[in-house]
Amino acid sequence: MVADGAVYQFDDVDRAIVALLKDNGRITNRDIARKLNITRATVGTRIARMTSTGALRVVAATDFAAYGYDVLLAIGVEVHGRPAEDVARELALLPEVFAVHLVTGARELEILVAAHDFGELSNGVIDGIAGIPGIRSIDVGIAADIVKYQFDVGISR
Amino acid sequence: MSLVELDDLDRRILDLLGEDARLSNRSIARRLGLVEGTIRARIKRLQQRRLLRFTAITDNRQHGRPTLAFIGIRNDTGRTRELAATIAEIDEVRSVIITLGRFNLLAVGLFPTLESLIELANNRILVLPGVTQVETSVVVKSIKYNERMAKIGFSVDTGAPVDADADAELDSDDDEDEDQSED
Repeated sequence: MVADGAVYQFDDVDRAIVALLKDNGRITNRDIARKLNITRATVGTRIARMTSTGALRVVAATDFAAYGYDVLLAIGVEVHGRPAEDVARELALLPEVFAVHLVTGARELEILVAAHDFGELSNGVIDGIAGIPGIRSIDVGIAADIVKYQFDVGISR
Repeated sequence: MSLVELDDLDRRILDLLGEDARLSNRSIARRLGLVEGTIRARIKRLQQRRLLRFTAITDNRQHGRPTLAFIGIRNDTGRTRELAATIAEIDEVRSVIITLGRFNLLAVGLFPTLESLIELANNRILVLPGVTQVETSVVVKSIKYNERMAKIGFSVDTGAPVDADADAELDSDDDEDEDQSED
């Protein structure tokens, strides 16, 4: 990934390729070339450039259910006596914690957690989170239903 | 617990695709010592079951570096689903989760400016009938976000966008015996 100052900006051709890839991440270079009336080599070069600069990632996203994650939690974490980012990095090491954000507001961190079932939560997941030094309290929201979930805009890291 | 049952082969295919989503069916087949048709059929089945979706994620710097924010909403309990559907229609709102516990609804959105977030929270969400409290928190830094885990299939038709192009994707995959990125 490149430094911020050198962010590669898409041009119209890039954007057209990206639109096709968002629709179907496995469309072939040949089909992209045909649809956009450009050469296959151009498609290959453009995709390579966008991905190597970190501006584009083609992903195979799997539904939570594919790995048996039936329980999702949105947890606000209150940190005390330790830099929030240190706590965040420790939380990020836990495999069941799939998102960790430093936020403004009443609590320092917002995290998203996936578990296979409620038994797993009580048998370790919540203890694993709450046991991290610097966490004063957690405020747990259990996802009863996900109504909308778009994820095609990534987060700069 | 889960109704979804994946076998070992499904998982091995998903693992390889997780490393490189544009790995061709032929390459996957070669690595797993199977024929290409088997791989294609498995991938298609995973897509049809709404367990797998291939997409492209663009860095937010390509979108003018919008602010990511969490919006926690409390409302009269009986109106949660109706409010969820209304809020899901807002473009800037990327996800809407009905929650038990800390909020009734949690919305996550991308906003061009802080002002636009506050405007949305105060003038478009807080004013909705049944909403009693709206709490915003702005993401200052993202430490981890695994976008390979997502919600793809939706059990209840709420009017939210439901991957309407999945069948089109399958169709376009159908006549492909060629590699994705290889020439």
